Amino acid sequence: MRLWPSEPFGQTVAILAIAYLLIELGIPYIPPLFGLASAPAPDSVVFQYMLTVLMGVLIWVSDNEERWRAFKRPIQRVLVEEKRKPIRVALLVLVPVLVAFIAFDQARPSLSAPPSFRAIHPAPPGSMTFRDRTIPITGLENPLRHEGRLEAHYEEGKRIYYRNCLVCHGDLLDGQGPYGPAFNPAPLSFQDVGTIQQLTESYVFWRIAKGGAGLPNEGGPWNSAMPAWEEFLTEDEIWTVIIFLYEQADKTPRTWEEVAGSEGGPQ
Amino acid sequence: MTRTILLAVPVLALASLSTTAASADAQDQELSLGKDVYDRWCAGCHGVDGAGAGPGAATMLPRPRDFTRAQYQVRTTGTGELPTDADIMHVIDVGMPGTAMPGWEDALSRDEREALVAYLKSFSRFFESGPEPTPLEFGSAPSSSEATITEGARLYQEIECWQCHGQAGRGDGSAAATLDDDLGFPNYAADLTRNWLFNGGGAVEDIYRVLRTGLDGTPMPTFSDLIESDIVTDDQLWSLAHYVRSLSPARAPAVREVITATLDESELPSTPDDERWASVQPFYVPLAGQVIVKPRWFSPRVTNIWVRALHDGEDVVLLVSWTDPTQSPSSDPDWASFAQRVVDTMEPKDEGSTWEPGAPDRLVVQFPQTLPSGLERPHFLQGDARRPAYLWSWSSEEDRAVEMVAEGLATGQQQPDENQQLSAVSTWSEGEWRVLFRRPLMTPDIAADLQLPLATAVPIAFQAWDGDNGEAGKQNAVSTWYFLALEEATPATVFMAPVAAFVLTAAFGLGVVARAQRRYTEAEERAGQAGGA
Amino acid sequence: MFKLPYLRNLVTSSLATAVVMGCGGGDGDGGAEDAGEATAAVMEHPVDAATAGSITGLVIFTGTPSEGDMIDMSEEPACAEVHATPPMRMPAVVGADGGLANVFVHLSEGLDPSLQFPAEEAAVLDQLGCEYVPHVVALSTGQQLTVRNSDPVLHNVNTTPTENRGFNRSQPQVGMEFQTSFPTAEVMIPVRCDVHGWMESYIGVTAHPYHAVTGEDGSFALERLPPGTYTLEAWHELYGTVTQSVVVPESGDVEVMFEFDESMAGRHVPLRPTLIISHERDGRATAVRATQQ
Repeated sequence: MRLWPSEPFGQTVAILAIAYLLIELGIPYIPPLFGLASAPAPDSVVFQYMLTVLMGVLIWVSDNEERWRAFKRPIQRVLVEEKRKPIRVALLVLVPVLVAFIAFDQARPSLSAPPSFRAIHPAPPGSMTFRDRTIPITGLENPLRHEGRLEAHYEEGKRIYYRNCLVCHGDLLDGQGPYGPAFNPAPLSFQDVGTIQQLTESYVFWRIAKGGAGLPNEGGPWNSAMPAWEEFLTEDEIWTVIIFLYEQADKTPRTWEEVAGSEGGPQ
Repeated sequence: MTRTILLAVPVLALASLSTTAASADAQDQELSLGKDVYDRWCAGCHGVDGAGAGPGAATMLPRPRDFTRAQYQVRTTGTGELPTDADIMHVIDVGMPGTAMPGWEDALSRDEREALVAYLKSFSRFFESGPEPTPLEFGSAPSSSEATITEGARLYQEIECWQCHGQAGRGDGSAAATLDDDLGFPNYAADLTRNWLFNGGGAVEDIYRVLRTGLDGTPMPTFSDLIESDIVTDDQLWSLAHYVRSLSPARAPAVREVITATLDESELPSTPDDERWASVQPFYVPLAGQVIVKPRWFSPRVTNIWVRALHDGEDVVLLVSWTDPTQSPSSDPDWASFAQRVVDTMEPKDEGSTWEPGAPDRLVVQFPQTLPSGLERPHFLQGDARRPAYLWSWSSEEDRAVEMVAEGLATGQQQPDENQQLSAVSTWSEGEWRVLFRRPLMTPDIAADLQLPLATAVPIAFQAWDGDNGEAGKQNAVSTWYFLALEEATPATVFMAPVAAFVLTAAFGLGVVARAQRRYTEAEERAGQAGGA
Repeated sequence: MFKLPYLRNLVTSSLATAVVMGCGGGDGDGGAEDAGEATAAVMEHPVDAATAGSITGLVIFTGTPSEGDMIDMSEEPACAEVHATPPMRMPAVVGADGGLANVFVHLSEGLDPSLQFPAEEAAVLDQLGCEYVPHVVALSTGQQLTVRNSDPVLHNVNTTPTENRGFNRSQPQVGMEFQTSFPTAEVMIPVRCDVHGWMESYIGVTAHPYHAVTGEDGSFALERLPPGTYTLEAWHELYGTVTQSVVVPESGDVEVMFEFDESMAGRHVPLRPTLIISHERDGRATAVRATQQ
């Protein structure tokens, strides 16, 4: 039995099927073989790729008059020949039913959540009050970082992190602690490049001290489960946790020089 | 004394065992890598000395493993036996579902994880001598059928699994209130209807393995003796595993942001046990401990609820159900001591517990008091002074629900009696609460009550308390905001679209066929004429 | 499916019950002598019978013994009906003459560690009427222990040693039994049943056969000892440990007396260790487990 069809129509169908399998299965499963991260392609992307493949095949088929005729032959047969009447009737019923179904699905009112517009790292104020004391945020450095006892501060920060932060932000600092899935928005992952690495330590201090409730409105303070840690921890304790976060996630904080060099981005 | 092992001792002891200098070197290197990995990633919970009492331990129940005892829950070996290296590696890779232990397969390299296994073993002298542990023979799972499930259910009765796990498997057996682990911490009997939280994994193979090996260090014993004494066959024990698996949904539930209340114009169900609920889609809502304001709570018993909703255009009914082993306060005094032990065990104490014996179970369904026009909502912990929350608050004490308005957690003020339009019916059976709330969509009390519009995503959140788990006041389980959407009657225009699409497509298809056939006949005729000429 | 083995087990268990009942709950060692299954390997006793001495002793209690708690067995009628009087959880059993029962007495120091003793018959730990019989078991290292369930209800046997490997085995059917042994000396190994929170027992394991559990009159006896000076230790689950030095004469007997009193209550090895939560500054706290003395 021949595996590869000899007729252009059959070849077209085969090419489309192979392309579909490659896109649907190849994208998620092949990269991990080489140790790369992957995710399945969304349906809209699959649809676009398939459309491109179809166009290419049609161009190839119609490029040559002979091939084009050969391609059309099985289609014409289905449309015309008496012995292919059952296929013809089936197609005449099934295709409209499919189209009708899609139309219904599109027209049906769907109840979805309102879109959430939320600034993950909203602009900070220039200064803040920490338990009645005013602390400037702009230009502020972590006072413990250059004290020379980084190891001790890391250990202290670790102790505080495991006691207080772990349930949400997790062992891996990926925001997937045991309570992570129960909160929306999900707890921040410090492993993502877009988080603490893009922020100055003073910004992180502000976010920890004031928590979700201390966010400006564009940050959606009503949704955030982040506690205001000034209620629980002292200034120094928060600074040690910050040292722990950067060390454990193997990230470096943004410096004020970098901030000055690129005005406008998140601080 | 074993609890104060110095780090160097096991390292040196293990190193001294090796016979040649070269292998000692390799072992030293592995242990030193293992120690680096352990100190960085594991010591926060398990402690630098491996005794399971790191800084994070006191906020966890169950507590992290104490490696100095060499007692591991998830094994392929018999009870009292050491685990194989592969057993330890398995838990490091996939973690312990239902606990704080995550899987490390993607976070650490294979070398690091292997070194970690060697280092964990160095915490206990039990690994130094003795034969290699040998795994038990498990075979593979026979397929499940109605007959195996029936047999498993019979065995569940016969060997008295219900003593701890309860008749329906929800961890509500009569022995559940007195369970401790080997270190003396209170132990929750597993809820067998939520297999995605099973310590050792939720697949039927995992369940069978636990039946054979027990979970050492916990009250769960091995049932291998039943096979060895020829009381049950291996297949019968597999049937039990299939039965236990069948108590949970086929797939772990997924979170959906919008809870849909289906329009049902027939009479709405008036009791939680109405058969019609079985055909209403349940929505899964995970809950977390209230760890945001003082006093925090790290051991919530209600870790998820199920919500079903219907409306008839006049009233909305909401059925909320969840696992809770008791109707708090239980008549069994052991539950009051269980709750006291949970309260004593859990850190941090913050401002201390407000729990007292006799505390009821509670459930709060929370809405904003008025529908937000923009994105703004009340804070998800029962609002604040600027944006109050409107609550449906149910308590097992009075077995009724009342409407409240709150400006922060535990500040709810009950509305006056004449303004109460909410009613609730509850049942508790076999370790499950089912509470049915009912309220008119529109109330006369427009200022204080949220009016529920159709086809709009209304913010909704939930809070739950288990009195017999030491929960009261601000110490409870909470969710963030979800949405409740009341389905609208489908407008007639919606049905026009598919009809039109069908007619048009069919007409087009017929046209194509007719045209092709006409051409074909013409071509035939031409060919016929040509041939005839 | 269950019928045949179930019957077989039922028969064995009724026999076992008869034996235990026949003993009338006599001295604590009583259970150890009725196993009769393991035949000892033929080995010379290392101590010359002609010159060997013995210890006979009495453990007495002064003061008011700790009161027992009622056990609520209403959920296990099969267990409740075994008991003629309402079952009590009695940590301290004191006889009419002040003798303290369930004290584990053993030589803790002074014995030549190179002595090898012949294997002993298996001891028995039975579960009857939702209680462990005997309450305290004396065992030598390597000696077989037969653990039996004489109740038609589920028990689990959960041992929590620190020097030996702990196990947790279920016995859901009447008449089930298994054999086990402990390779390392350990005083004491707690045993509990998680299904019935009140059930507890202790196993004392020594590297030699010089151990005993006091009977209801508080008496005990150790036979065929090499003459010499020893430390004798008495352990009680509620009142802790008392030691004294004993000189065993050649071909003679020495009488010893141990005294426990009510002020010593709470010095026991907790079966379920009590949590001690110590609070440091600013709300930091550490949970420490009470450990064995």
